[in-house]
Amino acid sequence: MSDSRFSETYSLMVVHVADPGPPTYSLETAARLAGVHPEMLRYYCQLGLFGDERARSETELIFDDDALYELRRFEHYRRHNRVSRKTLRLICDLWREVERLQIELRFRRGE
Amino acid sequence: MAVTFQDYYESLGVGRGASAEEIKQAFRKLARLYHPDVAKNKVAGEAKFKQINEAYEVLSDPEKRRRYDELGAHWQDHGNGPSASGHGSRAHARSDHGDAAFEFDGTGFSDFFESFFGGGRDGFGSHRQSAGRPDGRTGAFAHQGQDVEADLLVSLEEALRGSLRKVTLRRPGNHGQADHTDTYQVRIPPGVREGQRIRLSGKGGSGLGGGSAGDLYLRVRLARHPDFSVQAADLYCDLDLAPWEAVLGVQAKIPTLDGVTSIRVPSGTAAGSRLRLQGLGLPRKDGTRGDFYATVKIRTPLAASPEERVLWEQLARLSKFNPRSES
Repeated sequence: MSDSRFSETYSLMVVHVADPGPPTYSLETAARLAGVHPEMLRYYCQLGLFGDERARSETELIFDDDALYELRRFEHYRRHNRVSRKTLRLICDLWREVERLQIELRFRRGE
Repeated sequence: MAVTFQDYYESLGVGRGASAEEIKQAFRKLARLYHPDVAKNKVAGEAKFKQINEAYEVLSDPEKRRRYDELGAHWQDHGNGPSASGHGSRAHARSDHGDAAFEFDGTGFSDFFESFFGGGRDGFGSHRQSAGRPDGRTGAFAHQGQDVEADLLVSLEEALRGSLRKVTLRRPGNHGQADHTDTYQVRIPPGVREGQRIRLSGKGGSGLGGGSAGDLYLRVRLARHPDFSVQAADLYCDLDLAPWEAVLGVQAKIPTLDGVTSIRVPSGTAAGSRLRLQGLGLPRKDGTRGDFYATVKIRTPLAASPEERVLWEQLARLSKFNPRSES
């Protein structure tokens, strides 16, 4: 039972502490989180779809939150919109280029 | 839910015909006044700082400014404007079906901004999960919840030191159920960069038929700073010099994120030169820090006293320097 003396002072609110995930994921973890087979993800990387410096270390393929986001987006459009891998590769390249240019433009305008 | 119109020109105190340079100067002047580090009233200062940041975000971008000007007084007639009483700093994220809108509070952007300038990024990730899938989930008709994305305004100080942010997400109820609101304390790790996504696992849309929840992605938008601009982990600022300081050299004080520091300007420094202070930028992934660059701008005195004029004339007679003869 609540104490009316405190009702005006305190309001209860459920707050969840949401820590971002680990900074990097192994190929197996990224594949599981994106719902693809690890071999398929390895194949995507060989095609250069997720082979930028963000997703590659010297000894093994690793993925950060951005790479995982791109992978999940890629899988979504491949499954739901029946977009071919070849077309998606082009779209992925364009997405990245647009984001890179947006960041560059933002910097130039801020100078 | 409804949205309150934001008068961005009023926020920056400029007229509708203001030039890009006037808008930049107005932003810098106000940002120096209301920056949370210097504002006397921290809470009010932070709210105002976010407001002018948002206004500058729109008015400094010619395309966004054109769209904003076109909205004008009839902004509510536009199809993508939502409906309900929004207050404070709320943002929206649409689902991939376009029908259910997630609402955010605490991202640093207003309802109005997200409705018209937030990019309208659709969520995705809603896919069927079935037995035997690599993710190990079961249920032939299980659907994973959609991924949700929203922009998060992060100050440079937060990017340097990291912070805890309270973000509220209201999820639309399914099949007539009431909306559900959750508040998260999100840890902003030191070294976040522009455009980086922070993933909160399982905090996106709810799954159906036993499917797992989608993820929540917060895309980092670094707040504009009155003095610094950012490229990757490097910080850039202007260093104004008098002509004689550029010629003779000077020890100048400049502000950095770590406080005011002193920089030695060598004699014969040309306009546009960049002086580097190593390790005073933002953190990088590997734990090191980027660099701080001071770009030299040479400011010419607008008026000269009679004595000064005599000296300038004397210099003009003596000097053999002719900038137009240099190749």
